Amino acid sequence: MDLNKLTFSFLFSVLLISPAGAIPLQADPGEETKHISLYAADNEKNCLVCHGKLLYTITDTVTGVTMKRLMSEQNVINPDVFYNSVHWSFNCLDCHAEGFKSFPHPLEARFESGWNCLDCHGNDPNYAQYKFEEIDAEFKRSIHYTATEGVFTCWNCHNAHYYNPLARQDSSSRDQIYKSNAMCLRCHGNPDIMGMISDKGLDKVLPKHEWLPNVDRHLEAVRCLDCHTRMTDSVLVAHEIVPADSAVKNCTDCHNKNSILMGTLYKYASKENRDEKGFVNGVIFNNDSYVIGANHSKFISLTGILIIGMTLAFALVHIIFRIIIRPIKRYHE
Amino acid sequence: MSKNFYHYPVWVRLWHLMNAILCLTLVVTGFSMLYSNPDNALVVGFKRAVSIHNVSGILLTMSYTLFLFGNLFTSNGRHYLITAKGMGKRLWQQGYYYVYGYFKGQKAPYPIDADRKFNPLQQVSYVGVMYLILPMLFITGWAMMFPEFILKKFLRFSGIFLTDQFHVILGFLVVIFLFVHLYVSTMGKSPVSNFRSIVTGWQESH
Repeated sequence: MDLNKLTFSFLFSVLLISPAGAIPLQADPGEETKHISLYAADNEKNCLVCHGKLLYTITDTVTGVTMKRLMSEQNVINPDVFYNSVHWSFNCLDCHAEGFKSFPHPLEARFESGWNCLDCHGNDPNYAQYKFEEIDAEFKRSIHYTATEGVFTCWNCHNAHYYNPLARQDSSSRDQIYKSNAMCLRCHGNPDIMGMISDKGLDKVLPKHEWLPNVDRHLEAVRCLDCHTRMTDSVLVAHEIVPADSAVKNCTDCHNKNSILMGTLYKYASKENRDEKGFVNGVIFNNDSYVIGANHSKFISLTGILIIGMTLAFALVHIIFRIIIRPIKRYHE
Repeated sequence: MSKNFYHYPVWVRLWHLMNAILCLTLVVTGFSMLYSNPDNALVVGFKRAVSIHNVSGILLTMSYTLFLFGNLFTSNGRHYLITAKGMGKRLWQQGYYYVYGYFKGQKAPYPIDADRKFNPLQQVSYVGVMYLILPMLFITGWAMMFPEFILKKFLRFSGIFLTDQFHVILGFLVVIFLFVHLYVSTMGKSPVSNFRSIVTGWQESH
């Protein structure tokens, strides 16, 4: 493993478990817990008693001295967010090494290998609808994977402790767009992180997108993914992140009746066949947005064109009568 | 015998020319944006249409300001003052003339002369367009150039959507006005006499 790869590995490990990496992007910590896990009591008694908060207490069994210690942030799991995630029903030790049962944790437990999505979900008919294999294939073609020689993993964007499928809720709402983009900005919005990744890393920090008119409005209404992935018909959220110079940069790709946004940002909504309310691409309104050229009121367009047509028809009839009566008028004059 | 009179001072003719060019540009680029198509741009591509539309909108606002000042400080403004009393009757007479009397060889009820620049239908439509529709088009157009000032939500709809739809409706009204304006202009002493007048400034009476 060369130095760069080592740096990557280290950096992504840190990201994965760092406070930034642990930000629960897929659920709000303040949300009421939706699930009650059978293992909740077990988790809380054994693991979350320390790992569920920043401050934990240890007692010296010989002297009986009790002290408060600060838990390394990378090892803190927010129980509220965990129990709102898709993996809420798990016992910590379902995934973590059995050795963690004892405290102090033995060294060999710390050498556990991390799981990736496909380790559990791959080739499982129960999860076939989510197309994990296709997602994995797309991911392996993405610039994240190829440029990091495979060091980048699912975890760098999706923390399994907190994972909630944004796209299967309503990916096009402003809140979900914000959360999705926060996933990218966790690295691409942080010069400290990007600067450490490679010499060119800083070039990838929050590019200004100056070619976009009303940049801020664009960036709050669409996900980074909508322009920076290769659109796919099969999976709900494209995972093939393309190099920056291959990203969408043509206005009409989005601003037209066959907007690519209908296959990306609004894919879920359009698949659900939501009422178009008399608008071309009416599902775009779920986002409180209006994409000029991609959606407009059919009623207003039809009425406008109809009235213009009627005006022209009236003028045409008037002209015909003017031509017909011209000789008569001349005669009277 | 027809009597010619100087009807359109230089500033009105220049403003009218500028107004015509900018309005046509805005209509064409507006339609190009609304019915944008990457494979087959209506007239101009989306990106160029946006730029041209924005620049034309700014220039039209400036030329409109010139028109407002002109109407405020010259006698041209009096032609835009509507006398409400008897307006319904005057409108009816003019409309009746266009659809029936004209063909029967009747005299125009409100012929254009040195004191009357517009017949009642023209006056109402011009006042409507110049003092109502265009200002609203400017407000909605400028708002879309600075969308951060638009209400995010209004009556459960996106503010930018409502603003744009209103802008589109007003745009359609201007297009309808343009067609009517052009057609009625062919109904002067000869089909081209009114067009000649707006170029030379001299109007031939009907």
